[in-house]
Amino acid sequence: MLEVKHLTKVYPDGTVALKDVSFTVEDGAFLVIIGLSGSGKSTLLRCINRLIEPTEGQILWDGEDITAADTTQLRHIRRKIGMVFQHFNLVRRSSVLTNVLAGRLGYVAPWKSVLHRFPARDREMALLALERMGIADQAHKRADELSGGQQQRVGIARALMQEPRIILADEPVASLDPVLAHSILGDLEKLNQEEGITVLCSLHYLDLVQRYSTHVIGLRKGEIVYTGSREDIRRMSDDEFKRIYGETAQRVGGGLEGSVGG
Amino acid sequence: MADKAVTGKQRVSAPLAAGLSLVLPGLGQIVNGEWQRGLTILLSFIASVGLGVWRVHLLAHLQVGLAAQYRKALYLSPGFIVLLSIGLIVLWLWAVVDAYRRTKVVIGKSTGIYVLIGAIFFVLGWQISEINPPKFFSQLDDAWPAFSQVIWPWQAAFERDRETIQAGAPILVPCDSGPLPDVPTETPGQPYLMADPRCGDLSSLDENNNTVPGSTLHLVGRGFAPNSEVQIWWSDPIGNEFRVRQAGSYVTVTSDAQGAFETDIIMPYRLMPPSASGVQIHQVEAKQIAEVGPLKPSEALLLSLEKMAETIFLGMMATVFGIIMAIPLSFLAARNMMSGSPLLVSIYYLTRTVFNIVRSIEPMIWAIIAVVVVGLGPFAGLIALTLHSVAALGKLYSEAIESIDPGPLEAIEATGATKLQVIMFAVVPQVIPPFVSFSIYRWDINVRMSTIIGMVGGGGIGFLLTQYIHLLDYRSAGIAVWFIAITVATLDFVSSKIRQKYV
Repeated sequence: MLEVKHLTKVYPDGTVALKDVSFTVEDGAFLVIIGLSGSGKSTLLRCINRLIEPTEGQILWDGEDITAADTTQLRHIRRKIGMVFQHFNLVRRSSVLTNVLAGRLGYVAPWKSVLHRFPARDREMALLALERMGIADQAHKRADELSGGQQQRVGIARALMQEPRIILADEPVASLDPVLAHSILGDLEKLNQEEGITVLCSLHYLDLVQRYSTHVIGLRKGEIVYTGSREDIRRMSDDEFKRIYGETAQRVGGGLEGSVGG
Repeated sequence: MADKAVTGKQRVSAPLAAGLSLVLPGLGQIVNGEWQRGLTILLSFIASVGLGVWRVHLLAHLQVGLAAQYRKALYLSPGFIVLLSIGLIVLWLWAVVDAYRRTKVVIGKSTGIYVLIGAIFFVLGWQISEINPPKFFSQLDDAWPAFSQVIWPWQAAFERDRETIQAGAPILVPCDSGPLPDVPTETPGQPYLMADPRCGDLSSLDENNNTVPGSTLHLVGRGFAPNSEVQIWWSDPIGNEFRVRQAGSYVTVTSDAQGAFETDIIMPYRLMPPSASGVQIHQVEAKQIAEVGPLKPSEALLLSLEKMAETIFLGMMATVFGIIMAIPLSFLAARNMMSGSPLLVSIYYLTRTVFNIVRSIEPMIWAIIAVVVVGLGPFAGLIALTLHSVAALGKLYSEAIESIDPGPLEAIEATGATKLQVIMFAVVPQVIPPFVSFSIYRWDINVRMSTIIGMVGGGGIGFLLTQYIHLLDYRSAGIAVWFIAITVATLDFVSSKIRQKYV
């Protein structure tokens, strides 16, 4: 269980990205975070594995305080939390296999990995992960030779190498076309359902939200303005919609397939 | 600024502004609130007048009093003085008119006065840097002999061994002082010289200092190199050798196809010390300096080759050491690697500052310092180039690190990797292409630099080149210049090819 308590993030320039955010995620949940660009979705996800240091508040994971962890503890926590990014964040000039193997860095001896030497078991694991994502034949290509959808699968394979209990997905499909978006989210859903990996995912499109999420929170200007389940999303009122997306936002197609322009 | 230009900006009355600018050009504008414009005019005026006075003083420093100096300078350098004077007067008047008009409605930006200021400084600059184009053309002839040798020095690149072929015949002076010396015996194939007669009197001076010619000797030579020059020398009993002159010029004869020659000489003038009285056996000699054997590379060519190799390796080693030291340091000088704690940030600023200082000092200066420490030679050059390379590469590398895509960085960090792992997996793959490119570029620069670093004693071909130039041996200098040019051009080509591959 992941408990976020009174989380606040103020950037050095004074921008308040998160304001007293509290919520709880049960193990095995598929939590989707919705909100406009700049509402604090990315900051929230990055605070959970402390890529961004929160200013105030606590994040408890099975009772352990992530925000209080020292460097070594933090690395041990991080390796159980996979992360998937909007722009995939692969090392473009490295091979697909090297990118996937990088997911094991938290587990292998640092001095060995620095020379790009990984145990044979890890290599097998990497190939299996790629096979699982259906791109085993691309293993020895350079990462930037792959298409966008394939690159995101490499990103997921890298996260899988961590044998994660949580996957943080920061707008994983925002750079992909709608067909690929479903396919990538389908992959995440499979991991969520088959392996029980908790998924925290930020998304833009409401039709994707109500198709894949089990729980939803809505952020606006760093504050939680909406909490609900998948069913609640279907029944989301115009009022709730405007609370998340602002007074001027337009719902397209009557609600269920609603999305926000911009 | 645009508003001001269109409407003017009345703070004081127009005549007051004009009057102030008449006292000091630009003062009216300053009082009127346009302090930037006014200050520019004022400072430019003061600077031009000051520079003008300095140049007038230099031109006519023997004259006493400014007016006298001005008249002398006008006489010596009329173009400069007239132009400068007109420029300054026009600037002064313009400043007055400008001050007047700037208080009124002004249309347009009126930047003409700045053009005038620029023109005045151009005139001053022309005179201060002593530009004299006619000199360039009128004295080009003098440079031609040296220049032509530098352009095509290859005659001096190869040479043959030189060998002196010589034979001598003894001469008794004077004839009645003793027995005649023996006729030298002739060995076939060896050079042989015979004089007839075998005795005689040297040329001498009478009481009136008129020359009394000595006896004439008929010389017959055999066994010399065919068809080449033979010099006639004279050797007195104390062993002094000198070339025989006849009517002011050296006696030279040319051997025939069989290597034989015949000539007549008048015995030379020789003042002998009193102790040398008595029987004197002089010797007449025929000498040939012949080039024998196959062509072989000259010393200049071999030395240039040797020093060129030294130069290339000097540049290479400096680059290697530069790279080795710059890589770790560049991470300390990259903003995105050093954010976090105040300590890291201060290390970042410190490294940057050191890089900038070391880089701004020319390798030549470093070489001079290094020569003091380790003495003349390539090691001093190596130290100088390495220092400069570390700073220059460090800056380039750190900028490459700063411009990497931060995405992979955070992705690798999120896997629980250590800082070192993040660098090896996310930073290094991204910076390899720019690093390779910069390093090769630096190698290129270092070889070029090492050719001149020798001029201050830092080893390499520059040292040799300076020596040849000082010895006025322009052909050998030309060979060195050619080697430098060929090496630099080759390296330039190779490095651009390699860099193309990596970009």
